Amino acid sequence: MKRKLIAAIGVAGMLVSIAACGSDDKSDSGSKKAGADSYKGQTLTVWAMDGSTPPNWTKDVTAAFQKKTGATLKFETQKWDGIQQKITTALSESTPPDVIEVGNTQTPAYAATGGLADLSDLKKEIGTDWAEPLNKSAVFEGKQFAAPWYFANRVVIYNKKVWADAGITGTPKTRAEFFTDLDKIKAKGKAEPIYLPGQNWYFFDGLTIGQGADLVKKEGDKYVSNLSDPKVAAAMELYKKYQSYSKAPKDKDEATPQQADVFAKGKTGAFVGMGWEAGTAIKANPAIEKEIGYFTIPGETAAKPEGVFLGGSNLAVAAGSKKQDLAKEFLRIALSDQFEGALSKESGLIPNKTSLNSNLTANPAGAAAAPAAGVSGGTTPLIPEWAPVENNPNPIKSYMTAVLNGKTPAEAAKAVEAEINKRLSQKN
Amino acid sequence: MSVQTERADRAGSAPADTIRKGDAPRGGPAAARKNRAGASVPYLLLLPALLVTAVFLGWPLVKDGMLSFQNLNPRQLILHLTEWNGFDNYSEVLKSSDFWKVVERSVFFTAANVVLTMLAGILIGLLLARLGKKMRLLLMLGLVFAWAMPMIAATTVYQWLFAQRFGVVNYVLDTLGWHSMADYNWLGTQFSTFSIVTLLIVWQSVPFVAINLYAATTTIPREMYEAASLDGAGGWKSFTSVTFPFLKPFLLATTFLQVIWIFKSFAQLFAINGGGPDRLTETLPVYAFVEGVGNQHFGMGAAISFLTIIVLVALTGYYLRIALKNEEDEL
Amino acid sequence: MRRSLFGRIWPNATAIILFAGFAFPVYWMFSTAFKPNLDIVTDTPVWFPTNYTFEHFKTVFRADHFWTLVFNSVTVTVLSVLGSLVISLFAAFAMTRMRFKGRRGILLTFMIAQMAPWEVMVIAIYMLVRDADMLNSLVPLTLFYMVMVLPLTILTLRGYIAAVPKELEESAMVDGCTRTQAFIKVIFPLLGPGLMATSLFGFITAWNEFPLVLILNKDIEYQTLPLWLSQFQTAFGDDWGATMAASSLFAIPILILFVYLQRKAVSGLTSGAVKG
Repeated sequence: MKRKLIAAIGVAGMLVSIAACGSDDKSDSGSKKAGADSYKGQTLTVWAMDGSTPPNWTKDVTAAFQKKTGATLKFETQKWDGIQQKITTALSESTPPDVIEVGNTQTPAYAATGGLADLSDLKKEIGTDWAEPLNKSAVFEGKQFAAPWYFANRVVIYNKKVWADAGITGTPKTRAEFFTDLDKIKAKGKAEPIYLPGQNWYFFDGLTIGQGADLVKKEGDKYVSNLSDPKVAAAMELYKKYQSYSKAPKDKDEATPQQADVFAKGKTGAFVGMGWEAGTAIKANPAIEKEIGYFTIPGETAAKPEGVFLGGSNLAVAAGSKKQDLAKEFLRIALSDQFEGALSKESGLIPNKTSLNSNLTANPAGAAAAPAAGVSGGTTPLIPEWAPVENNPNPIKSYMTAVLNGKTPAEAAKAVEAEINKRLSQKN
Repeated sequence: MSVQTERADRAGSAPADTIRKGDAPRGGPAAARKNRAGASVPYLLLLPALLVTAVFLGWPLVKDGMLSFQNLNPRQLILHLTEWNGFDNYSEVLKSSDFWKVVERSVFFTAANVVLTMLAGILIGLLLARLGKKMRLLLMLGLVFAWAMPMIAATTVYQWLFAQRFGVVNYVLDTLGWHSMADYNWLGTQFSTFSIVTLLIVWQSVPFVAINLYAATTTIPREMYEAASLDGAGGWKSFTSVTFPFLKPFLLATTFLQVIWIFKSFAQLFAINGGGPDRLTETLPVYAFVEGVGNQHFGMGAAISFLTIIVLVALTGYYLRIALKNEEDEL
Repeated sequence: MRRSLFGRIWPNATAIILFAGFAFPVYWMFSTAFKPNLDIVTDTPVWFPTNYTFEHFKTVFRADHFWTLVFNSVTVTVLSVLGSLVISLFAAFAMTRMRFKGRRGILLTFMIAQMAPWEVMVIAIYMLVRDADMLNSLVPLTLFYMVMVLPLTILTLRGYIAAVPKELEESAMVDGCTRTQAFIKVIFPLLGPGLMATSLFGFITAWNEFPLVLILNKDIEYQTLPLWLSQFQTAFGDDWGATMAASSLFAIPILILFVYLQRKAVSGLTSGAVKG
């Protein structure tokens, strides 16, 4: 007890001393090219999000890293819930995780805090052919603060049996055809045509991209909500139409309950989700595996698929990490053509270089995702001010629920605008 | 420490009573005999408690108070910057209409839950006293289950019970003929969300009140009831003239605790609907958390948390006064 | 004492309904934990699981670090409760049996300490612990939990001590005991139920706490069960079966403790609470 007390009292004294040793005492700084074993005994900690690191890829990268550097690689899987706060506090610590996976829409905000290391050199070295649209989110004020890792967009995951039972052959190529198919399943009455909760907000974001709408606009030197734009309203009307085919709760997102689990019961025609969600469904009900199919979310015309939100992740190095060089070694390995390709193949994720896209054909989910990503992909506004808008409770989700419950898009937009503007103007 | 105590007592060399008199201020001749070491004994006994409270509660409170005068966002936190901004956080909070709505809501929420908990608790407690041994044990068991259920487990189960699509409650209501409830969304409106949270809180709080109240009634001397019935008191009369006065201090103390616990409810509101829909079920602790930690506006969160403490102290001021006054009269 | 049939039936009937109402959520937790997934996410609830599965419990036991979390939770809870009991015993004794200057102020301090909104102070606590380089450790957790349960422990114990008749203590001292001896031999044994009741509150609080662990200990080696549980549920809410199995395992120790201590505790609790 006494020792604990002393330790606790010691806290007071350390308050002053620790703060002094900020982020610039990197033990192994310098640009010496490291051979094997020069990092022996060190451990590099990488925070990866849940679902980002498929098992084979993880195993192979870990082995390759160990072989090349002699150091140990430790992946720590993080949950999305509360991740922003977790990263913020972690970056402020004296021993932060060395490498962090950061969502592309959140990257500008972290770059602005000064907590991420400048990777401009690395970009010159290994990133000259990173796909430009995908790299955009990682650049802030002209500097490279992260490396694009992978991208993903939603596809329609459908149950072949349900579709066949409703007498549908083939998959829809236009939005109109898609609705006709859903009508057929509905008429059959055996299954829910599509499972779409009211707050699948990234699907909605895709629809706004498809309509060519922006969620924010600039007013003077400030960003403000653009939800009252008729184009956003048009996207919301589309969402409402899709949602009318579903019995899913209007005020929940796709994770409560996990939509793949609902789909796994075999009584749902389709859902809009990430390719890997099929795996979740198969885990819940292995029998569903042979029924699962994928197709690109169809757009207005067969020529151009529906707009999709290009979700993606960047890998960033913590400015406070004392293993800057080792962290870069990791990035060189993980982002090499070999492992980027392997990741695409295993998870159906879109790689950071267009030259690697051929890996997707091996993965049906990836094959369905790729067409939209190229021509119809977009993101949320890539400005540091954006990240707070997505904090829970996300006002855009409130907007969606309000419209689905009968408010007009204009009314609903008006109701949440103040909150969105408040968040956009939040001081840094 | 114990050595000193002993010495103090020996020096007194008299029953405890004398010592107590001796310690009393203005004790006349006794004061002259007051032993210095003896006088410090209570302080020594209290020292550990006061010390740990000061270090692990007082210090964070002071820190929190300091943060409330700072502009503290992710940038400042990460780079360890201190940016004082005076009363900006407070003035922004106090000027926002949201804050006052949340205060009002917190007060009503607390009042409703405390009243319901106390009423249900008292009734069930009295019922326990009336039941036969076996039934009492059964009901006690049910109460103890609810009481002992860890909060997080409980909130999960409630979410699950009231789920829109696969929840048991909707199924039962539908089966009972209330078909509009088949797909009812309990989290869709402010009122229904509060209803669930209230049910959860009352469910978890009633056992404490009921079981203790029952136990308290068992300590009421039989003679008091007999005397009352000799005076011709009926059931209700003997309740108001014997049971209630006897239980009054207990009820006051329990109400005080319930006000604190319920006002501070955080996990229940936050886990069940995240303070939604549209932030309409945020009470002060949730509001402080969402603004501070959720929106990473840490200085603002600290300001709100301070205001939260002030509101709570104001709410319980009545009891604190009574408790302190009683304290004076005792001993 | 004549009571109508109705008068005899309604208390029992009410008791049964109440029992069902209070126990149902707990039952639902346990039964969900034993159901196969397809019986969980279903349109017609399965009231009594006919297909048992231990799959969910296996998932829990197989979960990474589960036993580490159990160990951490038990350690932190037991140490913090014991610590606060010892400290409170001294303090409560002083506050009930001694008269000194500043007593009311100290009482008020503990009453207000009882109101501390810990959840919203997490950032301040985090910064202090971070700057002391004590993150990812069980020590600060134990200490903070100890203080978290301390005020109520003191206030409750005060009631129990006051309930022990002064005459007992005095007569012991007439028999030649010192005050310390009198305390150990006379008061302490009588405090048994009170200590148990008080420790129950401490156990519940410390066993349940998670906002602080969440922010202080990012390394799973130093996390505790409730945090793990809360993430299980809030992040994905997908695996209800496993979540309920985990909840069940989490609830069982407290349930057992309660049922075991309930009778002893309750008798003491009242005397404590009455005094408030």
